[in-house]
Amino acid sequence: MSSWLRVAAAVAGKDIVIEVRTKTAILSAVVFAALVLIVFNFARDASLVSTTELAPSVLWITFAFAGMITLNRGFNLEKENAALEGLLLAPVPRSAIYVGKLISNLAFVGMVEAVALPLFVLFFNVPVWGVLPGLLGLMVLATIGFVAVGTVFSAMTVRTRFSELMLPMLLLPFMVPPLIGAVQTTTRLLAGRPLSEMIGWLRILALYDVVFITLCVLIFPAVVDE
Amino acid sequence: MKPTISGSRGIIKWGLALTALGLAAMVIVYVLALVYTPFEVRQGAAQKIFYVHVPAAWSAMMAFTIVGLVSILYLWLRDERLDAFAASSAEVGLVFSVIMLTTGPIWGKPIWGTWWTWDARLTLTLILFLLFLGYMTLRSAIHDPAERARFSAVVGIMGMVLVPFIHLSVYLFRTLHPKPIVLKASAPSLPPVMLRTLLLGFLAASVLYLGFVVLRYGLARHAVAERDEEN
Amino acid sequence: MPENTSYMIAAYVVAAVVYLLYGGSLLTKGLRALRKDR
Repeated sequence: MSSWLRVAAAVAGKDIVIEVRTKTAILSAVVFAALVLIVFNFARDASLVSTTELAPSVLWITFAFAGMITLNRGFNLEKENAALEGLLLAPVPRSAIYVGKLISNLAFVGMVEAVALPLFVLFFNVPVWGVLPGLLGLMVLATIGFVAVGTVFSAMTVRTRFSELMLPMLLLPFMVPPLIGAVQTTTRLLAGRPLSEMIGWLRILALYDVVFITLCVLIFPAVVDE
Repeated sequence: MKPTISGSRGIIKWGLALTALGLAAMVIVYVLALVYTPFEVRQGAAQKIFYVHVPAAWSAMMAFTIVGLVSILYLWLRDERLDAFAASSAEVGLVFSVIMLTTGPIWGKPIWGTWWTWDARLTLTLILFLLFLGYMTLRSAIHDPAERARFSAVVGIMGMVLVPFIHLSVYLFRTLHPKPIVLKASAPSLPPVMLRTLLLGFLAASVLYLGFVVLRYGLARHAVAERDEEN
Repeated sequence: MPENTSYMIAAYVVAAVVYLLYGGSLLTKGLRALRKDR
């Protein structure tokens, strides 16, 4: 059991260290997030469309696309691939590798979301302070969903020619349930609605996370092993 | 198991027969729907699109489920025939979902007044189409057969698990945002003559699906067998 | 004939075209494969 944890932690740690040093994905994702927010702000007619109506969608689209940029790079470094192949030669539990990758990807996407959220509050002037714990919890719940699937898919698409195109193409349908749930819940959170109105969506999000993490752990060996 | 020329010829023959049968059945359904089934009073002629759209949707769903199930079998048994069959089913499913995706809006415009609505049916149609497309595109991007088979199987299985969640999400959305009751696209209980045409439509679409898949599979096996013989 | 007949025709034609194109291409390839050997 402890060796499983050690493997997972080692995989996660290595990735995070590399990213902290190079900062490539985080930077590009943050720039992307800022761009999206700026464009949306100037694209709408403030008298026709209120920020509170538009804000949740914009926020989650930003998270989704910035997340995809980050995921794409997650398996991309050449040293990265060689290291992974080395790791696979040993009888290391594949589930530990997957969870390690999942944790590091969550850390990356989480960092991007952590930067994008304040920008979002700044540009859109939405009252998040009162609901911040709820919003953060929601961000974790929804992000886990699509990052779990994205980790498996990016492991596959990194070996194809147009990986930057293949990953979004495969991942997009899988982002639909987490994104719908996230946007619906965010809308209600910002409007100060009671928990009872959000519980349905939260249940779907939680179920999605449980089902897909389980499935991904089971299916990841098929991606990395012959 | 390596494909043989003679074995694949047999499969192709079956495929040809079933496809021909399916196409003939579809012609009968067309004639039945257009000429021998009465118009629905409130919706007029456009309602008849129902007899083409719904069976195609059924076949697309069936194709998709089969891709998922066969993918599971492939990862378990690692038999290349299973991969070839899944790929055939995906290609055929893509064809049926194109029909779904085109006839759906053409039906929607006169009935609901809009080309597209995000109801459960059409949303699922779009998702299914994107999943099929993703599956086929991934396959074309990978050249090693074993890797291609493995990766396709992963996508097939994950796609199959995704579908219920799409249903759930759209259902929850709809119950919270009920649409104004305009015209219901399909009558709650169909008169027998319409039901008969619809059932025949299902039969024709199923036979056609089977014919297409068997033929496609046979052609794939034949191509591999020929290549093996040349080497 | 009700006014939305053109929609009905459009849908039936589109579906028929897809079935015939795809089915036709498969049938042709199948027949060609059978004819090719022996």
